[in-house]
Amino acid sequence: MFGSLATLQPRQLAAQVLNFALVLSTAFMLWKGLSVFTDSSSPIVVVLSGSMEPAFQRGDLLFLWNRGQETQVGEVVVYNVRGKDIPIVHRVIRRFGGGSAPLQLLTKGDNNAADDTELYARGQSYLDRSQDVIGSVVGYVPFVGYVTILLSEYPWLKTAMLVFMALTVVLQRE
Amino acid sequence: MADARISPHALPDLKSTTDDALANYLRSLHFRQHHAKLDVRLALGYLGVAIAAATFAADYRLGWDATKRWTAVAVCAYAVVNGGFSWWIWQVEGGCVFEGVRGGKKISIASKTNKHDPTYHLAVTDAAGATREVQAPFTAWFTADGFFVARPFQQWLARSVGAIGEADAKNAASDAGGSEGGEIAAESEGFATGSGEAGGVETKGKGGKRLKRKG
Repeated sequence: MFGSLATLQPRQLAAQVLNFALVLSTAFMLWKGLSVFTDSSSPIVVVLSGSMEPAFQRGDLLFLWNRGQETQVGEVVVYNVRGKDIPIVHRVIRRFGGGSAPLQLLTKGDNNAADDTELYARGQSYLDRSQDVIGSVVGYVPFVGYVTILLSEYPWLKTAMLVFMALTVVLQRE
Repeated sequence: MADARISPHALPDLKSTTDDALANYLRSLHFRQHHAKLDVRLALGYLGVAIAAATFAADYRLGWDATKRWTAVAVCAYAVVNGGFSWWIWQVEGGCVFEGVRGGKKISIASKTNKHDPTYHLAVTDAAGATREVQAPFTAWFTADGFFVARPFQQWLARSVGAIGEADAKNAASDAGGSEGGEIAAESEGFATGSGEAGGVETKGKGGKRLKRKG
């Protein structure tokens, strides 16, 4: 299998490696481009829990938009708890401030009994729209996000996929 | 490399093996290869990769908010560089597989294949800028089971392209067209049993005639 690589000139080998590097770079830059366009650090997120059923199920893929700063009660937002890197998808049930004052939000999962005060960081009793919220949900695709859940629960899958992709691209001559 | 076996049905494999053999053959005839086109392509490509890597590093270290503006700039820069890279491959390189100089004379060779047609097309541009097109079926130098045979390929090249013929008088002069084509056909097992792969059996005799006429 690697015999075909051994007979390549150094420049040609560099060109083959470049093909793979470009696949990774282009995927990454497309992601960053979408981030810039939506003004969100993570424009596509996967629903990890069932706290928003029946609206969103675990494994749904959500598309976010972060350029609407006047979030209303009833909108579904995605936020990071301060200090943690886990995105939470819940609905806004109260808002304070807005306009010239900084907008503060209280959220609750549709399928939860209590609001999110328990989930926020110590001493935090509301979300700051500009600091904590990653974006509001503007669309979704069901089930597709399960791939991401699998990849994070079985990290070796990530490595296996990457290795497989690398071999396929580098050994292919077109 | 002579032992490497490829699938005789895969056109990209046939083409890339032949392209590599062409470059190797010309280098062995002391053509000095110019790598300018490939170098520009590598430079553009790796510049794009560098931009992406820098963006990744900045984002990893400093987070999203701090790097938002620079990320936007980087995405635009990447789009421009990648666009340039694609344009370079498509327009400028245009299938070029060898560019080189021998005895002060420049030669430039581009190859192409058409879909579902196992014929190797070469466009040879000499020092004066005139372009000549020659072609031959892959069956002339590949056995039915996918082994590349250098001799008939070199003979076809030497007889079809003037500059190569001057460099390699032995292959240019040898009247091997019919007989050697037939010999190879006899030696290789798969030939007789080849069931319609690229017309292997039918061109046993025709291949020879085709080789002769092209000279």
